[in-house]
Amino acid sequence: MVTPIFIVAIALGVGFSIGVLNKLGKNFTGGLVLAAITFMTFISYQWFYAFTFGEQTPTYVYTAGFKPPFSINLLMGQYEAIITLMINSIGLLGGIYMFNSLKERGSNAQVVYLILIMALNVIVMTRDVFNLFVFLEISSIAIAGLILLEKGTRSMGAGFKYVLATSIISSILLIGIIFSYFITGTLNVDDFISLSISTYKGGAIVVFLIMIAVILELKPFPANGWGLDVYEGSDPGFSAIISGASATASLYVLYKIMAFAGVEWNYYISLIGIVTFVGSNLLGIKQENTRRMLGYSSIGQVGLLMVILGFKDILGENTPYIFFGILISHYLAKAGLFWLSGIVRAKGLKEWAVIRKKPFFLFLMGTFIFALIGFPPFPSFFAKWTLVMDLVQSGNIVWVAAILFGSIMEAVYLFRWFGYAIKEENKHLEDFKIEIHKIIPVWIVAIALYGFGYFVSQLTEVSSTINFIPFAFVILLFAIDFLPIFVKNTVAILGMAFYFYTIYPQLDNFRLIFEVIFIVGGILALIAGYAYKGKREGFYPVAILMYAGLTGIIEAKTTLEFFYGWELMTAGSYFLIIRGHRSMPHGLSYMLFSLGGAYAILAAFGIASVGQDSISMSIINNIQYIPTWAYALLIVGFLTKTASVGLHIWLPGAHGEAESDVSPMVSAILLKAGVFGVALTLIGMGAENNQYSVLAYTLGWIGAITALVGNLMAVFQEDAKRLLAYSSIGQLGYIVFGLAMMTHLGWLGGFSYVINHFLYKAILFLTIGAVVLRVGTHNMYEMGGLIKRMPLAFIAVLIGIIALSGVPPLSGFTGKWLFYNAVLDKGWYLQGAIMFFSGGIAFLYLWRLIHTVFLGQLKDNHRTVKEISIWFLIPIYTLIVGILVYSAKPQWILQPLAEIIAPFFPSNQLVWNGGTAISHYGNWAGTMVMAIIGIAFLAVLGVQLISTRKAHKVKQFDITYAGERPERPETTHVAYNVFEGLYKAMWPATIPLVETFWNKITNYLHDTAGFTRRIYSGNGQAYMLHIVFFILVTYLVIIGG
Amino acid sequence: MEQLDLGHISLAIGFLLILIGFWGLLTQKNIIKIIVAFTILDTGINILIVSLGYIVGKTAPIVDNSVEQLENHNVVNSIVDPVPQALVLTAIVIGFGVTALMLAYAMKLFNAKKTLEINKFNDLKW
Repeated sequence: MVTPIFIVAIALGVGFSIGVLNKLGKNFTGGLVLAAITFMTFISYQWFYAFTFGEQTPTYVYTAGFKPPFSINLLMGQYEAIITLMINSIGLLGGIYMFNSLKERGSNAQVVYLILIMALNVIVMTRDVFNLFVFLEISSIAIAGLILLEKGTRSMGAGFKYVLATSIISSILLIGIIFSYFITGTLNVDDFISLSISTYKGGAIVVFLIMIAVILELKPFPANGWGLDVYEGSDPGFSAIISGASATASLYVLYKIMAFAGVEWNYYISLIGIVTFVGSNLLGIKQENTRRMLGYSSIGQVGLLMVILGFKDILGENTPYIFFGILISHYLAKAGLFWLSGIVRAKGLKEWAVIRKKPFFLFLMGTFIFALIGFPPFPSFFAKWTLVMDLVQSGNIVWVAAILFGSIMEAVYLFRWFGYAIKEENKHLEDFKIEIHKIIPVWIVAIALYGFGYFVSQLTEVSSTINFIPFAFVILLFAIDFLPIFVKNTVAILGMAFYFYTIYPQLDNFRLIFEVIFIVGGILALIAGYAYKGKREGFYPVAILMYAGLTGIIEAKTTLEFFYGWELMTAGSYFLIIRGHRSMPHGLSYMLFSLGGAYAILAAFGIASVGQDSISMSIINNIQYIPTWAYALLIVGFLTKTASVGLHIWLPGAHGEAESDVSPMVSAILLKAGVFGVALTLIGMGAENNQYSVLAYTLGWIGAITALVGNLMAVFQEDAKRLLAYSSIGQLGYIVFGLAMMTHLGWLGGFSYVINHFLYKAILFLTIGAVVLRVGTHNMYEMGGLIKRMPLAFIAVLIGIIALSGVPPLSGFTGKWLFYNAVLDKGWYLQGAIMFFSGGIAFLYLWRLIHTVFLGQLKDNHRTVKEISIWFLIPIYTLIVGILVYSAKPQWILQPLAEIIAPFFPSNQLVWNGGTAISHYGNWAGTMVMAIIGIAFLAVLGVQLISTRKAHKVKQFDITYAGERPERPETTHVAYNVFEGLYKAMWPATIPLVETFWNKITNYLHDTAGFTRRIYSGNGQAYMLHIVFFILVTYLVIIGG
Repeated sequence: MEQLDLGHISLAIGFLLILIGFWGLLTQKNIIKIIVAFTILDTGINILIVSLGYIVGKTAPIVDNSVEQLENHNVVNSIVDPVPQALVLTAIVIGFGVTALMLAYAMKLFNAKKTLEINKFNDLKW
């Protein structure tokens, strides 16, 4: 095995020899530098391999023939091997990336780069604090020197501030080191540990000086303006090295120093870390410059890693797993993003739209952003999960809240940026050039992220049970994305069908209902995709990603698997939603509400795992620690997906602006994931348990108000798809209300609505979506008379709205009848009244939907439109058959449903007698009702047809405007603003209170960030002052206090 | 009253120089003056290092004739602590390197904006 001293020797040897060999040309010297770093990487790898797969023990390397304290020694242990491997690998990739830019700066720059990488290695390995100081200085000088060799003046100021700041920090470090020698007579870290230096007289101050210097190297908030300027100003290649290699080395130094600093420091390190994490991410939301924003994110991530180090005694043996999981994700993803920013050459966030001109780069960018936020399958997902579980179990819930808040802030700016890249106008932007040597490193880190994700998931028992097959299918679809739609659609449908076939025998009936909605419904929605032409790039991987997540939450046996599925679903549905026109802001708000909800669920799972010996899903049935809070968090988390009032503002835009076949996916199908979650939670709370009745009662009111608000808002929409979207909010309110009753009838009614809403909302969204594809507008007042051109679509909408409105003979009445009984039984009269009032309101918008779009006069420009596509008609009419069967024979579904519900909520309220349901208040037979109404309907229709057969048909232009000149074309349409009178009566209920509330919160955060970031005045002296103040405050808190 | 020895005097001077250095770094607006302040700070630290290794009445840790001629030939008892002396050499070299780098920056910054006022170099902020 090659001794690690060769890492230093090779670097120095090559560095000096380049001084002689530089006549051979810069390509040669550049190649030599890369060869040297390759060899250094090999040495680290060899040790890493020996530690991981062999029986290697940590090895000391002594220099100068003496033992410490008379000489310097290096240690190569397991962590040293990992960290130097990380540093050297990123150094090698960065060297390849910067090959040309280093060459331009000359062979000196190449040498300095090599020395930088070497210095970082020594910082990690050395056990001598003075040596540490020397090599910290060498790395600082090397970074500043490389910036100095750059062209242009922008980076100069940043470099100088960096030198000033680091020299102050290292002065403090040096003073600390010399006093440490003075009081102990040694400079060796291991001696400090064995002598327990902090017990010496003055030892606390010595430790403080060393510690504060090391912490300052990590750029703690707010004494980090100098670091931000370097991230923004320097070559992105260096930023990648600073963020990836330099910060990693500094973190390890912190770990080494903590070994002798004493446990009382742990708390303060976590405190500084969390302030940095939350502070930087909060300020990040105000950034418009990409690299500075990435700098804020880097500093924030390092803060999070400090939190983890500070908690190392509490996290115990999980610490390395958590620490490296987050570190690796950040290190790879951030290097990748900085490198991308050098390739794309876009400065402002909005200019990143240019990346779309090469779609593969958008994929890379997405990979890095999702890895940073901690989505599966990346290592940070598993690490964050374990971190939250362990912190909650040790009672540190406030810390979890702060970490999750910081993560959300980070998601705000990263996803806004990503949204710009996906959606912002890019025609005027000049395409960027690709240099092959710059692409390769970005590729490698992206692949490594997926590889490490899988590797990390296999490390622990609980995460190794995750089913990766659906995700592998997503990757397959990504690989065949270049094929035409027909092929991909067929592959997707067959894949889902086959998967459903293999999975359904394993599911109980409760889960099977949802799996059918998700997968069979998904297949029906996908059939409509055949109507599209071309390649529809990127659609299939993300659609299947959502379905993979949905089936994941159904199959989940552990809370980790559930959360994994939940996050996959969120990612997939985000991409689906943001595909629509004008859907960028809605995509962002969807993502943020989803993440907020996901974190609430995560925290609740953490609380639920307290005092349990497994993380099986059944733990939520028996939560021992603050159960009311845990259930409340779960419910809030799931209500973000059902879009209940207060958490609903993302839905109208997201569903309304989505593509025609995506709207049914995200409305009829996706919303049921939230229902599934709510149902699981309520089952967990248990029927008889009065302890949570307040929670259920509140939930009932939320459902009722959601139903009212959703339906009322739907009435005032002019956009057909937004109308349906608001209607979904209302319908989901019904479902939540039904489930919240926690009785047999309430649940039966709720589930009846679940199935119904899936059927009719899929029909309506598919039909209206297909109509929109034909007529090219969402506005109802721009349509009319389409019954003549699209009779099949008309029939579909007619059936859909009859089912939705809840009148006999179709299935909506089933739910209503059950609700009447349930409300009477439960005694929730006021809420019940609100529910039925909103049911009445639903007629208003349903009438409008069919009347405005299909009846009345045909518009001039629609005289030649064709019937909606056959590919839409197939799923629509399949679903209609479903509705008709369900309406005629409700007992086929309701009786099995009742059996599913019975174990949780005994079925004493409702008795089945064949096809007739009998409750305390009456009975009802679906088949008979349907038959009677059907006969009555046909009779009236027949009379009408006979009596009007001689009527004179009025042509479209047999009218005049009675001398009135319409100001705007829409005002001539009968249905435009048709509910003005109602609006005058009801307007107080339509004030967007909730949106105002969220806007205020957003503005408040933005104002805070905008105000706070002004401390980074750009003045180098101010930055030094921040450092001095930071030291003073920390001193007062830790020692003076 | 305890006599003020060389060690304590140099210790005090070292701290004084460190404080002056910090004061200069935080108050001077001219980049060259800031660099001078840094060298003062650096010198203060170097004096501090040496004075902490000082032992009253002992000579420099260079084993040459002056040490050999001592009566008992006991080298260990006749020289000051050699480690800080070795450290200070390294620290001086590093301080030299940093100062040189700062001066190079000063030159480039002056060429860019024809001024040495540190306040003027705040293009990157917030």
